[in-house]
Amino acid sequence: MDTSSVKIILQILHVIFFGYAFAAILSYIILSVISGKETIEYSKRKSFINYKDILSSTISPSITIIAPAYNESLNVVENVRSLLSNHYVNYNVIIVNDGSEDDSLERLIEAYDLEKTEYIINDKIKTQPLRAGIFKSKNPAFEKLMVVDKKNGGKADALNMGLNLSKSKYVACIDVDCLLLEDALQKLIKPFLDETETKVIAAGGVIRIVNSCTIKGGKLMDINLPKSLLVKSQILEYLRAFLLGRMAWSRLNGLLVISGAFGVLDKEIAITVGGYDTNTVGEDMEIIVRMRRYMEEKNEKYRVSYIPDPLCWTEAPDSYKIFISQRNRWTRGTIETLKKHRKIGFNRKYGSFGLVSYPYWLIFERLAPIIELIGLIYFIILIILQEVKWEYAMSFLVLSYLFSVVFSLMAIYSEELTFHQYKKKGTGIKLILLSALEPFALHPFILYAAIQGNYDYYFNKKKKWGNMVRKGLSTT
Amino acid sequence: MIDYQYIYSTYNNLPFLIKLVWIVISLLALTIAFMSMYLKVIRHSLRKKREINIKFKTEYESLLVKYLYSGDDSEKTTKTQNSIIESLKESVKVDSKRKIILAVLYDLMNEVSGEMSDSIQTFYYKTGLIKYSYTKLKNKKWHVIAKGIGELRRFRIKKASHRVTKFINHPVREVQKETHLYMVNLFLFDGLSFLDHLKTPLSEWEQIQLLETLQKFENQEICNIRPWLKSTNNSVVLFALKLAKIYNQFEVKETLMELLSHTNKDIRLNTINVLTHLYGIEAKDVLKTNFNTLSIEEQISFFGLLEKLVMPDDEPFIEEHLFHKNFEIQLLALNILKEINIDKYMGLSKLSKKEKSTAMIKSENI
Repeated sequence: MDTSSVKIILQILHVIFFGYAFAAILSYIILSVISGKETIEYSKRKSFINYKDILSSTISPSITIIAPAYNESLNVVENVRSLLSNHYVNYNVIIVNDGSEDDSLERLIEAYDLEKTEYIINDKIKTQPLRAGIFKSKNPAFEKLMVVDKKNGGKADALNMGLNLSKSKYVACIDVDCLLLEDALQKLIKPFLDETETKVIAAGGVIRIVNSCTIKGGKLMDINLPKSLLVKSQILEYLRAFLLGRMAWSRLNGLLVISGAFGVLDKEIAITVGGYDTNTVGEDMEIIVRMRRYMEEKNEKYRVSYIPDPLCWTEAPDSYKIFISQRNRWTRGTIETLKKHRKIGFNRKYGSFGLVSYPYWLIFERLAPIIELIGLIYFIILIILQEVKWEYAMSFLVLSYLFSVVFSLMAIYSEELTFHQYKKKGTGIKLILLSALEPFALHPFILYAAIQGNYDYYFNKKKKWGNMVRKGLSTT
Repeated sequence: MIDYQYIYSTYNNLPFLIKLVWIVISLLALTIAFMSMYLKVIRHSLRKKREINIKFKTEYESLLVKYLYSGDDSEKTTKTQNSIIESLKESVKVDSKRKIILAVLYDLMNEVSGEMSDSIQTFYYKTGLIKYSYTKLKNKKWHVIAKGIGELRRFRIKKASHRVTKFINHPVREVQKETHLYMVNLFLFDGLSFLDHLKTPLSEWEQIQLLETLQKFENQEICNIRPWLKSTNNSVVLFALKLAKIYNQFEVKETLMELLSHTNKDIRLNTINVLTHLYGIEAKDVLKTNFNTLSIEEQISFFGLLEKLVMPDDEPFIEEHLFHKNFEIQLLALNILKEINIDKYMGLSKLSKKEKSTAMIKSENI
């Protein structure tokens, strides 16, 4: 290859990298503008919502909270108490003990006065069989609670068992270790009841990070910003993702994921599409994509709704090892889902779902770490070959860094002007500093985890969930 | 010392693209600096606002409570009350203070009734708050209109009905909803007359709100719901079905029977449920005859009706569906058979496993 050909190839590469970065930044700007408009609109509408009526209404739709638990003995009793104290009339709680090897079941039996009960299960979705069986409380105070002990089959399998057992119209799937706010169900059921001509198939809310917050009796008492830079950075990342990204995608009806930590699904549609996929580690995203695909193929008007209210607080990894393992799993989940439903991508038949949402996820979520890695390698090669035009490189590096800081600040503004959860004095300056540090404290590790996730997906098929060591909400 | 000359000449020698990038960088840096400083201002003002709100709320609360308790039995306001009204008239003119006064009044309105409630209404008139509410109705912004209607509802201003009813079919749902709530809160079942003119669908959320509002009142004398059961607006029919169930409207059974053949599946389904609740035994034969044309959900609902209203002569029909393709119907049929003919039910256990339905096998296993 002669020098001119190499130069042309290099030029093409430059255009690709530049074009990609430009498109990514442009998409963030567009999403931020849309999310700003949507947030203002939502705030206006919110002032007219009266949740009191739904609280006492006996005709409010029934909701089943399904919470899979695996070796959660440390906190399960406390967490179930939090789930049972929700302010909603028509709901019940199914705890699916998914083959735990610890004493979770025994602790639940003791704490809630449970006894084995006979129950006919309609196996609409195939699951692992029961182990010790189904338990209900002898104490009328816990009549909403059902505990199912089954053989281990993973989170998706446990959720499917809950779907089979639920008699409600809607199911709220939640991680048992999450702290659900008392008004979460009333808030998240609203989108389903509000639409008149469009069917809402799923709804999600904002997940917040509970580390360093004070919890008493399963209730959030005081909100604090953690000391760990890793956890703080995740708080900022969550704010950006939920208050900017998802808010905008919700407006565009382009949401492909409702967080597995807490989301409500239309049970009938979830069952019709076959329930949660047990062969993926990204079951929360996969089921939403499948439900959307089903509705598109049926040619029915539908929405995946999202509300920016903080509804559920979860513990974030506080060590880089666990954090990387979590993000590795998220990456594999995204790859699996997008690959499984590749038919949707760039397919006019699926409307904006196929032409906007799917391509966005593919290009800016799925491919981003790969493109970034190629870019880094390319940059190193250029350094070695002493071909770097430093005035270009440094300018664009500074530019992209400042853009990321601006987006973080916008997310902080959105939070301050809407929910203003971090009220304590001095937190503002910490958040500003965080927006400057976060690109160094978090991004390199996200990239590493994503590359590892790609590697594991293609070359380490045996890898499944990975461990998430929790300290527990009661000790937070 | 910064050598500006050097920076300027270096900048001038840069390629155009880099120059452009540095312009954007400078703008972003300025934006970040501004946003960082302004965030402090925002957080400070939010804190200050909260403190001021608390201060004024406490002040207005004590004044308004004093106002309420300084009234006498006569319809006229007392001297003390008049002086409180005068002292608050100025505050009402300030937007932020007016909001706090309204919030305090809403809280008080929820806690008091009878004369005290009338007294609050008088305050609302005499301080001129009502004028602000009326002005809001003329605003172009939907959320201002909705707020105005909300205020008129909370202070029970019946006289404003002619101004409010024109918003029944407003293009923004929140305005419509506030209008409907105004009507029902102030005129109870008579207020439901807006259903006659409603052109847009009534959301499930709003239906729940209206029903809850109606149930709060002592007067539970319901009006004739038949016209709404015949409405061309499907959501109105669904709402009327809820009314029929909650208020046990046995007298509309005939109309309900007609709804069994409605074109909308949700209406048919809900009608079966209401007829089950109202012991609509008349529906049994109709539904039995059309059973195979019903959707699965309707068939399940019908079996729910049979579970409640089964008669011995239903046995052949029940037997016919013991092996229905739907598990829930199999199970319901099995349970009903157990109730009306235990011998026949016991006899089913003699069938070989192959001959049994899934529901039979599962029932035996428990």
